[in-house]
Amino acid sequence: MFKTRHSLMVLVIVLLMSALAMPVYAQDGGEPVIAAQPCDEPGELTMWVWDEVWAGIIGESIEAWKADYCPGAEVTLEVQPWGQYWDLLKTNAAGGDLPDVFNMSQTNYFFYAENEALLNLQPYWDEYGVDTTIWGSGMVDPYRWGEDGDLFAAPVNWDTIAIFYNKDMFDAAGLDYPTADWDWNDFAEMAAALTDPEADVYGAAVYAEYQAGYPNWIAATGVTPVAEAGRAGCTLEEPGSLEALNFLKGLLDEGIMPDVSTVGGASPDDAFNFFASGKLAMVAGGSWKLSQALDEVPFNWDVVQLPRHPETGRSRSILHAVGYVASARTENPDLAANLILFLASDEGQRFFAEGGNVAPANPSPAIQQLWIDSFGETDINIQTFVDATIDSQGVTVFDEIWDAINSEIVVQIFDLGMDVEDAAAAACDVVEPYMVQ
Amino acid sequence: MTTAILNWLGPTPLSRRKALWGMALVAPNVLGLMFFFGLPVLMAFGTSFNEWNAIKPPRFVGLDNFERLLYEDSFEQALTNTFKLIALVVPAEILLALGVALLLNLPLRGRGVLRALYFLPVVTSTVAASVVWTGIFQPRYGILSQVLEPFGLGETKWLVEPGLVLIPVAVVAVWQRVGFDMVIFLAGLQTIPGVLYEAALIDGAGRWQRFRHVTLPMLSPTTFLVVVLAVINSFQIFDQVYVMTLRTVPGGVGGSATTLTYYLYRRAFTNSEFGYASAVALVLFAIILLVTVFQLRIQRRWVYYESEEG
Repeated sequence: MFKTRHSLMVLVIVLLMSALAMPVYAQDGGEPVIAAQPCDEPGELTMWVWDEVWAGIIGESIEAWKADYCPGAEVTLEVQPWGQYWDLLKTNAAGGDLPDVFNMSQTNYFFYAENEALLNLQPYWDEYGVDTTIWGSGMVDPYRWGEDGDLFAAPVNWDTIAIFYNKDMFDAAGLDYPTADWDWNDFAEMAAALTDPEADVYGAAVYAEYQAGYPNWIAATGVTPVAEAGRAGCTLEEPGSLEALNFLKGLLDEGIMPDVSTVGGASPDDAFNFFASGKLAMVAGGSWKLSQALDEVPFNWDVVQLPRHPETGRSRSILHAVGYVASARTENPDLAANLILFLASDEGQRFFAEGGNVAPANPSPAIQQLWIDSFGETDINIQTFVDATIDSQGVTVFDEIWDAINSEIVVQIFDLGMDVEDAAAAACDVVEPYMVQ
Repeated sequence: MTTAILNWLGPTPLSRRKALWGMALVAPNVLGLMFFFGLPVLMAFGTSFNEWNAIKPPRFVGLDNFERLLYEDSFEQALTNTFKLIALVVPAEILLALGVALLLNLPLRGRGVLRALYFLPVVTSTVAASVVWTGIFQPRYGILSQVLEPFGLGETKWLVEPGLVLIPVAVVAVWQRVGFDMVIFLAGLQTIPGVLYEAALIDGAGRWQRFRHVTLPMLSPTTFLVVVLAVINSFQIFDQVYVMTLRTVPGGVGGSATTLTYYLYRRAFTNSEFGYASAVALVLFAIILLVTVFQLRIQRRWVYYESEEG
């Protein structure tokens, strides 16, 4: 008995000492935006992620957490590939066997929150003194729940959208490169000038899928794309939505944009590959494409913020942030919350920032700069993606309407040539039953 | 009680011991089947009477899920698509397999290699094959569109047009099954005694008559087996739909490529309606059972067994 109490004392002292000696991430001399804290008691956790690269980065940060903040903790980190991640998560939820900590997407959050499968992290944010408004609203609002808007997740990263353009084609056409203050009309004019049917070259492809596609253009008109916040109603038939879709359809009808079948698929990856193959002058692409583009695109290119809506003057990017969540049934809720705090802290996010590719959610300017620097020597305007986080729109689409919104409406308008009004009405028919009336 | 069990096992101690051995030897297989097949089937049966989203405890709803089936247009569409697909796949598959089997039953050079080639799609991963076929059916740069160009069918949007999308799905399904059916047909052809052909030849039967009156009847038990298997298989087409529509609209524009298996998968794993999806699975099971029983019933009208008197 005495022996256990003795060793417990030693442990507490060691913890206290390591807490005092903790290597706070403050090389710039400033306070960390989110400070990690030592755990109360080590234990065992399981954690799921869907990406190998992430697993590597998160694995490193977990090691740092165990070394500096929670000696003796054990974390079993597993990669469940994206293709089966959500099916597995659901089946494990059915068996009452969710991992303690796992990655969540804004599109899937509603289901798990509604079914009370997630641990409310708000008490921990309060306890740790984290002001949850430091994250951009697009990053965290989709992860709030309940009357008080409790935050159930810590954002891991952000993705924003910008226009990738082929500089060689601009040079050949004698056009100036676009700048962040361009608007839809500039975009349409440039795309028309860059189109060359003889050479099988199109001006732009910017409609594909929810995140990189038409919803960005709807958002610029000031309308929340697809569904009002809180699932309050379908917005696709609102004037702004129709205006955006008709603008894009007009470019298709003029032969400036290729249809889905020409591109070879309705995903932005298909459009991006089409761009990389030199058949497209401009493409809408996510920040997640930067590494690949730097490695693989064989011509001179750059990125520029999405063009502004001529009247609202806004350029708005859809932003998706993956979240860390914990299971409501975890045996170690305090430990899970402590790990999540660390992963979201300046120290934990540094691993993402340095890893490149994934843009860290932590808003510390130092961390954002680390991310930009991680791409090495390049004159690509990477900052444009960070700028796009400011006036950004969180994800409003979800599983049950995913196909209708993500691809069906795209294929109907941009491949089968359906009228925008008809396609929007058809899509709203799918969306409405899931709205909270 | 004990005597009843003993009698059930066998009349003599030796036969009882043999019976016990037999049971012990099949036990691993039977137990495995019960746990990994029987039990899930029973659970699906139970689930179908519940509303269950996999997270909250199931709620008993009686026959509600089955009632919903009757009214959901999407179910009716999936059912129609499934039958359309069967109509496209089964006849094409069987005619092609029979044709190939007849040709490869001839004493050709390199027959073994050809047989292996035709069998190759069967052992190819459906997912991989479907990815390649998706490329072939690509309207702009796919091989097919270039082949069909002279016929005015270039740039046909096979995988997008709601009225066409089942055709590429059927083509891949047929392509993957022909080899399998061919092997069964080949085995069937080998069992036809040569004397029958000789006798027919002596009676002056021509090539077509020998095929019509010797090969076809003698092959009918094999044909029956192939038809039953082909129908069951076509009811369960899933991978082709999943992969080939993944890059455009999953399940086809407006659900035009959604088969019953794909439908129940989406209902379970996209909409979290596990009870409803289980009901769909049970109905699918019942349909397959009915169709198979029907086939067994009508087989005596056209299947010729050697032992029977003609």
